[in-house]
Amino acid sequence: MSTQYNFSLWNIWVASTLLKILLFPAYYSTDFDVHRNWLSITKLLPLNKWYLENTSEWTLDYPPFFAYFEWFLSLFVPTSVSEDGCISLVAKGNFGMPTVIFQRSTVIVSEIVLFMSLQYYVNRSSNLKEKKRNFVVASSIVLSPGLFMVDHIHFQYNGFLMGILILSIVNAKLGNYLQCGFWFATLLCFKHIFLYIAPCYFVYLLSAYCLNPQAKFPTTISDLFNYVKWKNLFKLALVVLGVFAAAFGPFIYYGQLHIVFQRLFPFSRGLTHAYWAPNIWAIYSLIDRVLIQVALRVPGSAPILSLIFKQLDLEKLETANTLTRGLVGDVEFFVLPNIQPNHTFLLTLFYQSLSLVPLFLSPTFERFIGSMTLCAWASFLFGWHVHEKAIMLVIIPFTFLIPRDRKLLPLYETLTASGYISLFPLLFGSAEWLFKALLTFVWFVIFSNSFNEVCDFSSTLSRRVFILDRLNFLYRVGLIPLSCVIQLLDIQSRNFKVLQRFEFLRLMAYSTYCAIGVISSWNMFSWLYFLDDSLWEGREAKQKAH
Amino acid sequence: MSRSKFVSLFKSSPLYDFLIPFQRAPNQWVARYIIIVFAIIVRCAVGLGPYSGQNTPPMFGDFEAQRHWMEITTQLPISKWYFYDLQYWGLDYPPLTAFHSWLLGKFGSWTDVSWFALDVSRGLETDDLKSYMRITALLSELLIYIPAVLMYTRWMGRYYNKASPIDQTIIAAAILYQPSLIIIDHGHFQYNSVMLGLSLFAIVNLLENNYALCSIFFVLALCFKQMALYYAPIFFFYLLSVCIFPFSKMNLLRLVSIGVSVISTFVLIFLPFVYKGGFGQIIQILIRVFPFDRGIFEDKVANFWCATNVIIKYRNTFTQNQLKKLSLLLTLAGISPASITIFLKPSKTLFTWCLASCSLAFYLFSFQVHEKSILLPLMPITLLLNEVDPDVISMVCWIANIALFSMWPLLKRDQLSLQYFVLGILSNWLMGNLSWIRMYLRMAKVPIYARELAMPVLPHNLFWRIVIISSYTLASLLHILDYIVEPPKQLPHLWVISNVVLSFGCFMLFWCWANYKIIHKATFKVKAK
Repeated sequence: MSTQYNFSLWNIWVASTLLKILLFPAYYSTDFDVHRNWLSITKLLPLNKWYLENTSEWTLDYPPFFAYFEWFLSLFVPTSVSEDGCISLVAKGNFGMPTVIFQRSTVIVSEIVLFMSLQYYVNRSSNLKEKKRNFVVASSIVLSPGLFMVDHIHFQYNGFLMGILILSIVNAKLGNYLQCGFWFATLLCFKHIFLYIAPCYFVYLLSAYCLNPQAKFPTTISDLFNYVKWKNLFKLALVVLGVFAAAFGPFIYYGQLHIVFQRLFPFSRGLTHAYWAPNIWAIYSLIDRVLIQVALRVPGSAPILSLIFKQLDLEKLETANTLTRGLVGDVEFFVLPNIQPNHTFLLTLFYQSLSLVPLFLSPTFERFIGSMTLCAWASFLFGWHVHEKAIMLVIIPFTFLIPRDRKLLPLYETLTASGYISLFPLLFGSAEWLFKALLTFVWFVIFSNSFNEVCDFSSTLSRRVFILDRLNFLYRVGLIPLSCVIQLLDIQSRNFKVLQRFEFLRLMAYSTYCAIGVISSWNMFSWLYFLDDSLWEGREAKQKAH
Repeated sequence: MSRSKFVSLFKSSPLYDFLIPFQRAPNQWVARYIIIVFAIIVRCAVGLGPYSGQNTPPMFGDFEAQRHWMEITTQLPISKWYFYDLQYWGLDYPPLTAFHSWLLGKFGSWTDVSWFALDVSRGLETDDLKSYMRITALLSELLIYIPAVLMYTRWMGRYYNKASPIDQTIIAAAILYQPSLIIIDHGHFQYNSVMLGLSLFAIVNLLENNYALCSIFFVLALCFKQMALYYAPIFFFYLLSVCIFPFSKMNLLRLVSIGVSVISTFVLIFLPFVYKGGFGQIIQILIRVFPFDRGIFEDKVANFWCATNVIIKYRNTFTQNQLKKLSLLLTLAGISPASITIFLKPSKTLFTWCLASCSLAFYLFSFQVHEKSILLPLMPITLLLNEVDPDVISMVCWIANIALFSMWPLLKRDQLSLQYFVLGILSNWLMGNLSWIRMYLRMAKVPIYARELAMPVLPHNLFWRIVIISSYTLASLLHILDYIVEPPKQLPHLWVISNVVLSFGCFMLFWCWANYKIIHKATFKVKAK
């Protein structure tokens, strides 16, 4: 077949941009006003006031590069837009369509970084087969319904940040460790949520770039000296520190570093976000809810529960038994032990470091991406106050692994299906429901088909368990009735008082059902990561084996 | 052009790029899914925008009219549907629209009683109501228009242009992403796709030789919107012709079966009215549906009467009755070439062409035409994308753009300019009409593939090239003027009138070209025999 494929993302860019322009009148969240406020802060105030300003509750709480980025955008605000109310330091923004058009366009324009970095990734493929695969990977990321929902409707700048992440990933693949480090440091100074995956970058760059693989494991001081490539280490440190200096330097100069950090890491927030992200804590909260009901309804169960968990205060339980509770961010557990930030921190660190050990021992690109995925996953599952949007941080690195082996495909599908559907409650209006549902559905059809086409067959014969695949499939199909039924109940809630009382149950259904998918695919992935070495050998080693 | 080997004329288009990875037989369902689901996604996205008459009390617009019909059909007995408070958006479409409204109103009331409460719900505008109405328009299109388009392209692929399944999907996509229908149905808000889809089902059944089914579907289309009459002469003459010719073997049975199905469908649809309210109902429906006392044209529309009104003030020169007769005469003259050809030579390859010419003649010359009625001629015209001649494709793309342009004043009033430009660019770009831009991008080092430059966007004929380029230039000039300059005080409608005149000129030329093609095709075939 002499069909000439087109490996340019240009067409996809044009089509998706046109679609995104049609989304201009769609719903936007408070994040829109947040970014508008930041535009005003950076435009109207001098640098040393940026992190002090607090007229609006949406204070600047992203790292300095993002503030510089907002300042850069504010240079392009036309007068008609700033007169519209875009540029004003007020508690709550009062603006019209021109501001919406301007801000939404900046998202679209900044997302070009994502397209360019992915095009770079496709262009650097070594042969036609790989190019085909990489093209599928690239197009699946740029068309991701997650980006559509979070960036272009809900309003954020993730596409552009993911573009920088991908730049550093591509450079890691090509062996340009310095650039890889440079881009990641830059990324950290744009949005500190990427700290989730910082450990694997640290270990990977250290092990692959700064340590000598030929030297034997250090036992004496001189061994240790030979074991480290000092020149590389200094180069890397210089680059990374340089980036941080560029970001934080001005604030150090003004003596505001501690203020900036207070803004960046507010530990006053609750364990779960208003809507539970589909992670361990969603399941944990669910169990707590169920146990409250058990303690109240089943006679004689309260003493047993007190014996196992903690002393129950039945009066407190009665007041806790309103299902609307929990819409408020701060969650207190009544039966199960309460969770403190350091618990979540330790859990996250534990699971992250598990994935770092193999990476340290054999720093291949594949393992690097694998551990990046696992690091993000661990933070997502166990972290403190995790947003559902953070699932994108798991999905995007994972995508780069799929073409390696078909074994990964079912768990990728489960992850993306549950992850993207868990984003649905972000857009709660009825107008966008069909849009988000159809976009997710068609993305799924296109890419499960395309990945199936381009993936390698499993190198190790059939460790796939047939029953598990079926279960997986059933789970994914179950998401369709889930989202339809919840939407129907939402619509019907105006007619039935009962349904209004159970509003929180619907969100809980989303987060717990999706949590099952996210957790089980995490289990499968960890299994493969730790036990199936053939997946994570370098490409050369894999070719040699054949 | 050889029929045996089909070469996709959209080979240089982004549509082809998107869908060709799914050309292997087991994946073709994916391609079909993609075009259908994305067609709906685009319509959903357009639906996020405003609708006609949003926030404009007391009368609002077409959206309120549709909602109001759901209100009166669900809340009143059937005998009052065509009588109730006619001043406020009285029902003026045939019964099937009423039944359709009743059904959607019932479902809607099940969701929220307040949406369609009698009288008190007038002018109701909530987000959920808007979403519900948008979804009903989407579902109507998904169930009726989209399958009909796919069936049509499949028939064409099998028996006419021999396109492969993936090429059929590409052509179907080119038809489904036409901007005019999308923006009127899902932006402005109407249910045109139901009537167009029913007519398209009639066409498909006619191609499949299911004459009785064809006539049933066509009557259903007529009973949904009387505008389907624009197609009626062609259906009538074709069906008549296949029944009575050749005289020696006149197929009376076929004629009877067609007649019976037509009459019984009409009877079934009107029966509930007669049963509940007597024969007076039918007269009232006819009065409501054919409002001959409303003048030769209402708004500015790009047809003969409105365009030449610049020179001759018809309303001052002729009486209403004279105008009726005049327009009847002109319309008859306009539809005669297509009607006579299809009567003498009932060929399936000519059928869509004749539909296009005939409905365009109705649009150009008949009485009381709305600017939205251009959708009727546009439907058969876009079906011509199945032709294997690049010149035809260029002409069709051109007239589709002009049709969208002719609705600009309406869409601007509805505040749908964003959707207008985006959809216009989207459809042209998908079909590869904007590929020439890539030539300039080559300098900017964007990677480019040779075949992207292959498709000729303009026809070969020099005359048409000049016409098309100058019409595009004038249209863009008008858009620019419209944007930056206020029209002079003594001529407040100057930009609208210029739009009307320009569009009318293009439609007229296209109508002449279509008739030329019909006659050429008809006689060419005879010679070939």
